[in-house]
Amino acid sequence: MASRPTVTIIGADGKATGATEVLPKVFGAPIRPDIVQHVHTGMAKNKRQPYSVSEKAGHQTSAESWGTGRAVARIPRVSGGGTHRAGQAAFGNMCRSGRMFAPTKIWRKWHIKINQGQKRFATASALAASAVTPLLMARGHQVATVPEVPLVVDSASFSGAAYAKTAAALALLQAVGAGADVEKAKQSKKLRAGKGKMRGRRHRQRRGPLVVYSPAVDGKELVKGFRNIPGVETSPVDALNLLQLAPGGHLGRFIVWTSAAIKELDSVYDSKQGFALPSNVVSQSDLTRLINSSEIQTVLNGPKGEARTKRGHVQKKNPLKNKQIMLRQNPYASTFAKEHLGEVKANNGKPTPLSAAFKELHKEI
Amino acid sequence: MSFSNVSSDLIWEITRNQNSFLVKAKDCAGGVQFSRDPYNLTNQHSRTHAGFVNDKALSIVANEKGGVKVTSKKAGASNKPASGVSTVTFGNTTARKTYKNVARLAAKNHYRPDLRAAAVSRASAIRASQRTPKADPEKKLRGNAAKKAASA
Repeated sequence: MASRPTVTIIGADGKATGATEVLPKVFGAPIRPDIVQHVHTGMAKNKRQPYSVSEKAGHQTSAESWGTGRAVARIPRVSGGGTHRAGQAAFGNMCRSGRMFAPTKIWRKWHIKINQGQKRFATASALAASAVTPLLMARGHQVATVPEVPLVVDSASFSGAAYAKTAAALALLQAVGAGADVEKAKQSKKLRAGKGKMRGRRHRQRRGPLVVYSPAVDGKELVKGFRNIPGVETSPVDALNLLQLAPGGHLGRFIVWTSAAIKELDSVYDSKQGFALPSNVVSQSDLTRLINSSEIQTVLNGPKGEARTKRGHVQKKNPLKNKQIMLRQNPYASTFAKEHLGEVKANNGKPTPLSAAFKELHKEI
Repeated sequence: MSFSNVSSDLIWEITRNQNSFLVKAKDCAGGVQFSRDPYNLTNQHSRTHAGFVNDKALSIVANEKGGVKVTSKKAGASNKPASGVSTVTFGNTTARKTYKNVARLAAKNHYRPDLRAAAVSRASAIRASQRTPKADPEKKLRGNAAKKAASA
């Protein structure tokens, strides 16, 4: 990369302030959906709480097997009499009121350790993907009205807790062109299908923009302003989380940066000891440019054959009308024509009549 | 693309299995895949027609006041979604003029010559949908009803 790309800083009114910022190096990280998905799968499991069925469930009866010879299955049966329950099968997973098969235990492996290097790689990759408009659109974000991706808003407008109120925060998002995405998230709230409704996951809705700020410069008041806007999340720049950067493991979250946050991003990555930003395996990923590059083109063989290929045997030609075709098929045709053999009268195949003398002689014998 | 780590080819490989525009038919027509991408002229899910991954793509939609609206992406401005497109409207002129203009937009300056035919047929389909359909001819009476009408 010869010169690092820059990004325009947008004012609170949605117009460019004229100032630009050099994009942090992390935006040049390789975009690896495989790593992001793998890390996301692990990280998403780390919020789980243990659950299990009761240890006693299905075993709160004093059932014993009747043994063989009673013409019933050997499964344990409830002892006693005087009630319908007596003599019914118990304990087994196939029994009514029996325990479940392989009862769930609280000591299941709920959490998954992910290597820190992998986590950092995935985060860097997700950040790089957040600067690619087509990936934002592929995730479903409404970015048609956004002036520039990545979207950087001037930190000057955040000073003095300017966005501590939701009305002001929403007005800012609408001014910088993120209104459509917020509206989409708001309209998307739907009742969840299935049992999750009764387990504290009643609704499901789309994710809107993620506001990344610098706690030192922008303050933390904006969190309160943005937190009640549906779908909108906030994150301090030094504590970016893959679950927010690539929800569902899908790359391309729409991020609204403050200018202080994007300025700080390079130092955030510099401060991570023992971690170098991953580099790209190929420096040019554009296939068309690769194929058309002079380096490739000079070592390629030229196209085989002529520019126009003969049709060869595709078209059948009439040898009776086309002399050359006739000669190709019948080399004798030239002699035949030259010596006018076609005009020579062939003998008509009749034998010469017998002479009268012969006939006479024959008769005598 | 602003960084060299990104290209249309890479974006396509990332999004070809799953993206917000993709519509997969489950078991009908051999699991055919369509696209809701506005920059897709044929609505087929394919590398050629996927407009959102490409630097150059056309969007042809119906204009509210009749005619078609053609939006094209400006090459090299993919990180500026709001300003990186240019829109032309071809109003209610003759169909031939519309097709000529659409074809010229698609193929001019080698923009997307391969999509010229698709662009014209999309414009044509939009124009056909804007025509007011002919009223059905009056139904002729048949059988007994016809006899009754004749005698009356």
